[in-house]
Amino acid sequence: MSRILDRVMDAMDVETFLVCSSEDEGRRLMLQFLKDIGFSDVDIVFIQFQGPGVRVRARAYIHRPGDTYGWLKADSAEGEDVK
Amino acid sequence: MIPKKVLLAPIDPVHDVGIKMIRRGVEEAGHQTVLLQPDLTPEEIIREILKHSVDVVLLSRSLGYGVAEILARFVDLADAVGIRQSVRLGIGGMAIRPELAAELGFDAGFGPGTTIEEALAFVEGREYVPQSVRQKKEKKDIVKGYTYKYRNETIAGLLSRITDNILSWASDKTSPGVLRAQVREELWDVDRWRNYEKMTEFLEEYPKLCGDLPRNFYEKGIMHPKTRRFVREEVVALESYIRATRERMEVPRLQHTLLKPLVFNQYGTGCPFQDTGHIKVSEAWGADGVIHFDPSWGARTEGFLDGFLTHQEDGTVITPANLNRIRNSLEPGTLWQVRAHRGLNTPETVVLAGKFKADLTKINICYGALGAGTDPARLTVDAVAAIRYAAKYGMHFDVVTNEELSGVPAYRAFAGMLITVDLALRLGGRPILQPLFCFSPEVMLEGYMRDNYVDFNVAKIAALRRIIDAPIWPGAPIGFLTHTEDRVQSSTSTAYHASLAAMLGVDAITVASSDEAYSGGPISVPAKVDTLRAVAEGFRFFGGSRIEPSGQAGVWSGEIEAGIERVLKQVVDRGEFVDAIYDGILGSREEGVYPGRNGRDTVMKK
Repeated sequence: MSRILDRVMDAMDVETFLVCSSEDEGRRLMLQFLKDIGFSDVDIVFIQFQGPGVRVRARAYIHRPGDTYGWLKADSAEGEDVK
Repeated sequence: MIPKKVLLAPIDPVHDVGIKMIRRGVEEAGHQTVLLQPDLTPEEIIREILKHSVDVVLLSRSLGYGVAEILARFVDLADAVGIRQSVRLGIGGMAIRPELAAELGFDAGFGPGTTIEEALAFVEGREYVPQSVRQKKEKKDIVKGYTYKYRNETIAGLLSRITDNILSWASDKTSPGVLRAQVREELWDVDRWRNYEKMTEFLEEYPKLCGDLPRNFYEKGIMHPKTRRFVREEVVALESYIRATRERMEVPRLQHTLLKPLVFNQYGTGCPFQDTGHIKVSEAWGADGVIHFDPSWGARTEGFLDGFLTHQEDGTVITPANLNRIRNSLEPGTLWQVRAHRGLNTPETVVLAGKFKADLTKINICYGALGAGTDPARLTVDAVAAIRYAAKYGMHFDVVTNEELSGVPAYRAFAGMLITVDLALRLGGRPILQPLFCFSPEVMLEGYMRDNYVDFNVAKIAALRRIIDAPIWPGAPIGFLTHTEDRVQSSTSTAYHASLAAMLGVDAITVASSDEAYSGGPISVPAKVDTLRAVAEGFRFFGGSRIEPSGQAGVWSGEIEAGIERVLKQVVDRGEFVDAIYDGILGSREEGVYPGRNGRDTVMKK
């Protein structure tokens, strides 16, 4: 699993429709879901509630700018002047 | 090639369009075909296979329900009657996934998007080699063919007087930004830098002209707290990534049957590595050009850092190494713009961009002085120098009007844009008009877009075209303030604006990602793909057709043109152009903009 996540260029979005009674509930459930499956850097990008529930897109950042990117397979100390 | 006998059967109650198209291709290639009707049972199809003694069977299935069961039954029957050794079985259609076909024992499975050529290769028992769709994208010259002749002589006369004033006023003035640009131009050589040669003279002079942050970097080795240097292993990995990506790279066109507009998007994640990832994806999904987006603190800092640096916040730091690496990662046909328009490093940005062979830059005095926080006098002095360098390096530049987003009416922002345009023409530059396609505060207050987003944007383009024959590049990004966090809505809005731009025959557009309205984190690369796909679909849908704006567009374009003329007269009457900015003639406090303070009192006599 983690090796595949290395290939995510930056973020992974999870989109679905959750049956719930309010936007707050949908937001809470979706964030909880992402945390339950092991993501920590999570946010709701888009959520819209209507009577039946929420259309929601949540995001887990795998590589933020400035990180060491798994898709480049690099890991070392810093310091050299490279042009 | 030995002709084959091919039986084609929709193993589906209704759908047979796809398999009919495959049949045509197979027949045109010289094979004999038998096409069965839809809604036959597996037993009936097997009977037909035996009856016709065929070499190849192609089945299709569009409906998803019960697909595994019915195909499994077909394969069992095929086994039972003993045709599996003599007949090659292929299955395709919307409901088919290659992995399912393989699991069930088919010789091939073709999913959605399969081409006739793929099916034909299977029929003929040869390996399918995709035709190379690699297109050679040539860089296009956005300004080519434009005469820059004024069509509104009154406005031409007013602009000429303002340009005279700016050049006269600036002639005996300089600034730390201008002096740094001179040092960069004269004492810093890109080839020597690439060879790791120490440029002693440059390093002696440059830090003296910098603010604390760059000076501390050069003299004490202190980095900006949000930056770090890349290490050699990371660079080697990046080079490997770029090389491998290039080998697989295709560069599609988005414009369908049209020649323009060129489509640009911005990068500026803060990290040149992440930027490179985003750029390669943008190129692969059809972007014609990319725009370097630097951090906001860069515009307020006197001088640049050095080194291959990543930055942990929005905007990628301008350094020679960052520009060099990003430049080298681009496909040969990708246009590259390095923005220089708004801050204390405007002329030096143009020099660096020129030395690294950027195609385009961005300069606007009024926006930089009113919407981006730089002192008007300072930016005027710097912009004159910047435009001269842009002309020297042959870099065309857009003149953006983002002060509209702060509340300045379009006609007033356009007056400011045309002042920079006229100044540029006098100095030998080739400017590009950049009106916004946006849901601006003016539009909200006046109700210009109460019914549609078309008329007012059409009015803007029409007004500018009545004034001057010059290239137009709406931005930035198109649809500004119409986007929401919903990626479908956001991409669709961009696509409609892009289609409107195409219908108006403008030369280029800058598009957002579908993350445009999301402010909770960095823009993600799938969001760039969303928008580019939507724009391509918009171009495909409308092609060369046109939509008809209402009569209101004509009324508004006349008002915009008249408003521009009125503002320019006020600038002329004020005497000094710089004073006109301070006084709010080109955008006032009431409208929501303020003369910038960065670099105040730094203009010097030469």
